[in-house]
Amino acid sequence: MTSFRHRWVPGVFILLAVLLAGCATQSGALLQETASRLPPRAELSSTPFFPQERYQCGPASLAMSLATAGIDVTPDALKPQVYVPQREGSLQPEMLAAGRRNGAVAMTITPSLDALLTELAAGHPVLVLQNLSLSWMPLWHYAVAIGYDIQREEIILRSGTTERLAMSLYTFDKTWERSNRWAMVTLPPGRLPATATESTAVDALVAYEKASDASRARKAYAAALQRWPHNLTLQVGLGNTAYAAGDRPAAAAAFRQATQEHPKNAPAFINLATVLLELGEVKQARQAAENALALGGPWREAAAATLQAIEKRK
Amino acid sequence: MPKKLKQLFISFVIMSFTFVGFTQSVHAAMIGTEQAVAATAAQQNRERLAAALERPDVTAQLEKMGVDKNEAQARVAAMSDAEVAAMAGRVDSLPAGGDVLGAIVFVFVLLLVTDILGLTKVYPFTRSVR
Repeated sequence: MTSFRHRWVPGVFILLAVLLAGCATQSGALLQETASRLPPRAELSSTPFFPQERYQCGPASLAMSLATAGIDVTPDALKPQVYVPQREGSLQPEMLAAGRRNGAVAMTITPSLDALLTELAAGHPVLVLQNLSLSWMPLWHYAVAIGYDIQREEIILRSGTTERLAMSLYTFDKTWERSNRWAMVTLPPGRLPATATESTAVDALVAYEKASDASRARKAYAAALQRWPHNLTLQVGLGNTAYAAGDRPAAAAAFRQATQEHPKNAPAFINLATVLLELGEVKQARQAAENALALGGPWREAAAATLQAIEKRK
Repeated sequence: MPKKLKQLFISFVIMSFTFVGFTQSVHAAMIGTEQAVAATAAQQNRERLAAALERPDVTAQLEKMGVDKNEAQARVAAMSDAEVAAMAGRVDSLPAGGDVLGAIVFVFVLLLVTDILGLTKVYPFTRSVR
C-alpha cells in the first residue's frame, strides 16, 4: 500500500504543478469590482429542478432554463431535440437551437464571471457548460446557475441530481474556464440579457425571427430597439415582423425610420415601397422605390421590379 | 478520397456562385431581414450557400451518431447558419455535456486531490479546501 502511494505522489504533484502554472482565474481582483456593483447575494429560488437521468444534463438544464422563461417542457420532451446518443451528451449549438425551437430567445452571454453574476442579479438563470474534470480527460456537464453569494465566494447551481449545489466560485470558474466560459440564457421574447452585446443580440434575434412566429419575434425586436434604437437590422426586422403579423402601418413606420437613419440601405426603401403601395400611398411608394433604384448596387433589379409593380397599379 | 473530392467540388461551386452571384428576385417582393442587412451581397451568398451545402452533412452526421432521421432534420432546420457552421464536421468532436459521474478508476486518486484543491468537481462527496 505504501509503495503504491509512493508511486503516485510524485506524478500527482508534477501534474498539479503543470496545471496550476497554466491557470488564470477571474476571481480575486475582478470579483471585487463586480462585488461593488452588484447586490452581495442573489438566488433565483423559484427556478424549478429537474434531476438529470444518466447523460441527460443537457435536456434537464434546458428544461429548467426554459421554465424560467414561462415555457413548460419536460427533459424527456427535449431529449430527442438535443441528445446525441453516440456522444452520450448534448452539443452547444443544439442547446441554443432547441431553446429557440421551444419559443425562447436563446443566446450566449459574454464569457466572464462578471457577466454571469450580472445576469443572475438581473434575475436571469444562466445555463453553463463546465468541464468538471481535467482538460485532457473531459467530463462535460451542463448546469443552471441560479445564484451567488459574494461574501462566501459561492455560486449556486441546479446541477445533475443536486437541487441546490453551492460551489466555490474558484472551483466553478476552474471548471467553467475549460469550456471557454460558455454560457447561454433562454428568455421570453421582449426580454434581453443584461449583458448582451449589440451584435450577439442582433444575430440571436434574426435567428429567432426565422424559428418563431411573427408576433413573438416582433415583440423581441421592439424590445431590442429600446436598447439599440438606431440598429438597422432591428429596424428592418421590426418592419418585416409587423408586416408578417398583418400590421402594415407599423411596418411602414419601421421601414421609414430605417430609411431615414440608413439612407444607403436599398432593401429598407424597397420594403417601404411595397408596404406603402399596399396601403394605397402610391405616390410615396414610388418615391421610395425611386430612392432604392438610385442607390444602384446589388439591389438595383429588385428596386426596378418594385417600381414596375407600382407603375402598373396606377 | 471521396471526401476530398467533395470538398473540392463544394469550394468550386461556392467560388462560381460568388463570382456570378445569385440572380436576385426580379419580381417585386419583401426582402428578408437577414438579406437586407448583409454587409455585401457576395459575402451573404457565400455564407448562405455554404450553410445550405453543410446542412445535409450535419443531418447525416447526427443520424450516424444515433439521432432519429426525422428528428435530425428538424434539429438542423432550427439551427442558424452560424450554428450549422459550428457543427459541420465536428459532431464527433464538439464537447458533449452529458454526465456528472463516470470518471475512470485510473485517475480516481488524482481527481480526488484536484477536487479537494478546488480545481475540479468530479465527485459529489468531496469538499474543497477553497
